[in-house]
Amino acid sequence: MHIPDGFLDPKTWGTLTGVSAGFTGYALYAAKSKLNEKVIPLLGITAAFIFAAQMLNFPVAGGTSGHFLGAILAMVLLGAWPGFLVMVVVLMVQCLFFADGGLTALGANIFTMAVIGGLMSYYLLMLSKGALGRSLSERTSLLTCTAVFSWISVVLASIACSFELAISGTVPLGTVLPAMVGVHAIIGVGEAIITTVVIAVVLQSRPDLVDAYSGPPELGKRVAREVA
Amino acid sequence: MKHDYIDRYSKLESPVHSLDPRAKAIALFALIVICVTTPPRAWWAFCVYAGVVLIIAAASRVPVSYLLSRVLVVLPFILMVAVFIPFMHKGGTSYDLGPFAVSSEGLLVLWNVAIKSTISVSCLILLSSTTPFPDLMHGLERLHVPSFFTTVAAFMYRYIFVIVDEAQRMKRACESRNFRGRWIWQARTVGYMVASLFLRSHDRAERVYQAMCARGFDGTFPLQRESSMRAADYVFMSVVVLIVLTGRLAVLWK
Repeated sequence: MHIPDGFLDPKTWGTLTGVSAGFTGYALYAAKSKLNEKVIPLLGITAAFIFAAQMLNFPVAGGTSGHFLGAILAMVLLGAWPGFLVMVVVLMVQCLFFADGGLTALGANIFTMAVIGGLMSYYLLMLSKGALGRSLSERTSLLTCTAVFSWISVVLASIACSFELAISGTVPLGTVLPAMVGVHAIIGVGEAIITTVVIAVVLQSRPDLVDAYSGPPELGKRVAREVA
Repeated sequence: MKHDYIDRYSKLESPVHSLDPRAKAIALFALIVICVTTPPRAWWAFCVYAGVVLIIAAASRVPVSYLLSRVLVVLPFILMVAVFIPFMHKGGTSYDLGPFAVSSEGLLVLWNVAIKSTISVSCLILLSSTTPFPDLMHGLERLHVPSFFTTVAAFMYRYIFVIVDEAQRMKRACESRNFRGRWIWQARTVGYMVASLFLRSHDRAERVYQAMCARGFDGTFPLQRESSMRAADYVFMSVVVLIVLTGRLAVLWK
């Protein structure tokens, strides 16, 4: 999904660069109170972690392999805006040092993977978590929504990517959309499983590290049950 | 993994390596933007761009085989577009290729993405293999990229190979127990690996932060040597931009 240079026309990449710059500027402003010198090492190492985790490929079918996006994971763990900024850093380094995604397409790639596949999916996740939370426990509703919206995030990102390519006249929409969405519907299942398992394990051992979780720590509950 | 995994060959000595990161970044970014906005039928302009890239590559003394292997990352994308070409019937002459009819319009699209992405990727690879990561980040910072990004990226650079090593150790441990990660339902196990990778990375981040505080960290990285733009840097920058712009504008006049 990392679009290289030359695949988008100037009006598409120009617009999306502007949109992504706006989001990034707002993110720096919104997360300003949180971005002290204590969290910068944490964000840097999380960025390195997402980078490394993207190297654990899982094969899908017929030779294509998917690596995961990590946007939902970053946001559930760090919160929306710090997670967004980590994704921007990852995409920036991938672009400058791995030529993975182009320079003029950087704005478009941030838009696809960090705005559509990230922020939008994350806020939908938090909305439905709130709705589910009325009948289910916080842990169950968070994990259910993480599973569903990690899948949705990958599929939405692939739809956005297809539209960007089609609007630029690089590929016809009618053929690229089903192909991209089909492949990413499968990749999304892997993304959903990995993200959910990671959040479940982190909830078990360090619930304080999950930003989207506000409930009582599991261990605390167990102790409380045993004391009672 | 070697610690220079990200910016291999960036510590060689050559005329290109000794240029200021800002001069290289501005010149190559300008080349990319100009190249991407060139109409596909401007054949001569692309020859000029490719010529500039080849001259810089030759002057940089980075092994050709390494550059070629890195440029290959765009190949899957070009192939993807090539697959869709037969479905494009926007008009123009078409050529019969067995079961498919390929329109000249479609071929033009393929040429357009192939040449532009190859030239742009070569520029980015040349930049990262002739400039050490910390120097480039510092250069970007002085070009007014917010220091938040450059500082976070600096940490990322410092720890990426440590964490990738950790990931590879875990992968090796899995493989030695006959786990190959072949099917999608095995993504669960990958999930456990990623989770413990995160917890270990987080512990490491906390230890690193405490160690850095003990050594007087205040949120910024002091630089050992301050680079400044010299005459050679201005010359390089303006020569590259001028040649490329001439190539681009020559097309307009024709």
